Amino acid sequence: MSLDFSPVLQSWQFLLGGLGLTLGLAALTVLCSLVLGGAIGLARCYGPAWLRLPLVFYIDSMRSVPVLVVLVWTYFALPIVTGAVLPPFWAGLIALTAQIAAFMAEIVRAGVESVRPGQTRAALALGMSRVQAVRRVVLPQAVVRMLPAFGSIISIAIKDTAIASVIAVPEYLNRSQTVAGESFKPIEVYLTAMAVYFVILFPVTRAVDIAYARLAHLGRS
Amino acid sequence: MNLDWSVVWDNAGALARGTELTVLLAVVTMVLAVPGGILLALMRLSRSRLLSGASASFTELFRNLPLLLVIYAAYYVLPLALGVAFSPFVTALVALGLNVSAYNGETFRAGIVSIRKGQSEAALALGMSRWQTMRIVVLPQAARRVLPVLASTWVSLFKDTSLVSVISVGELAYTAMLIRSRTFRVLEMLTAMAVIYWSLGYPQAKLVDWLNRRFGVSE
Repeated sequence: MSLDFSPVLQSWQFLLGGLGLTLGLAALTVLCSLVLGGAIGLARCYGPAWLRLPLVFYIDSMRSVPVLVVLVWTYFALPIVTGAVLPPFWAGLIALTAQIAAFMAEIVRAGVESVRPGQTRAALALGMSRVQAVRRVVLPQAVVRMLPAFGSIISIAIKDTAIASVIAVPEYLNRSQTVAGESFKPIEVYLTAMAVYFVILFPVTRAVDIAYARLAHLGRS
Repeated sequence: MNLDWSVVWDNAGALARGTELTVLLAVVTMVLAVPGGILLALMRLSRSRLLSGASASFTELFRNLPLLLVIYAAYYVLPLALGVAFSPFVTALVALGLNVSAYNGETFRAGIVSIRKGQSEAALALGMSRWQTMRIVVLPQAARRVLPVLASTWVSLFKDTSLVSVISVGELAYTAMLIRSRTFRVLEMLTAMAVIYWSLGYPQAKLVDWLNRRFGVSE
């Protein structure tokens, strides 16, 4: 079996554009999930009681439904409900954010709950307001503990963008499929794709491992 | 917007068969990936550089690739590399098995490493062999710690089986999308698909939470 990588080399610009879209979609997803998931996580911990039930329902639902299903539903079914057609990229962003924000919310909750309640009580006893206690005592410690998990959110986001190829977001995997189909060289194209994703994801997971080893003791109380 | 939910009931049989295949895929993958993970963990912790290096490379490779890409690669590369044509179902098992084995390997390794060294040293001092120490002292304790993590890997796997729909394995996602394109009842079929996944996945997610509370290690 001889390998011929020339189709990959010939369409490197096409593939590079796809890679840009992969990274752009992942970055936007992480950003939106951070904001939305952070808000949901904090609302679940400190928000009014009536809000907790729907938030827990949302988080657990996202944990139990596959990303593919959320993506396909957002792209094909949501426009039927709302009447507005979504371009694949934005449908992908909405669906991936909906999924990953739920994970982010769980990370925030776990981080906040890991700070012993005695500390909040002590802060309140010292005359801090609730907001002050959360902002000055709980969050600084919780955020340090959340960092490694937040890093793995980044690698999950990059991996999940590949699933957006199913709704024809022209990201790297989708463009690889196009090149593989046109050149009849699927093996070379997918081997290249494996190398590309690995080169991007390996440093991220490595950094997470290192961050975990370096930061774990800082969060200790 | 006119909705006709009868399409879901008319195709209930096909959806049920798809669901069956989804569960079967998840079960068989896990049955393959638990021994696979144990093997990887033992290799990783063995004194042989070669074995531990091989296990580490395997794990890092599959932890750092999108599963969907592994599925496509298995679909195109396996038959040409091995010269045998596999059914989509077997291809799916290979791809899912490789992915989940890598995660399980890390889980088992972390579980084994989490048992303090003093315990295996004490066992060795009592005259047990390395293998006896592993089997009698370390593994029973590691198993308890591994269980909640294994359970959440199971839930991920259950959801990830939906990805093999791209190589036309007739599981739930594939079946639902096939009926969608045949009947053009897009909203109804996709919602039915989501609801089926939800009703199967939700109790599992709750079970994982319970296992974490029951067996989870909090430092």
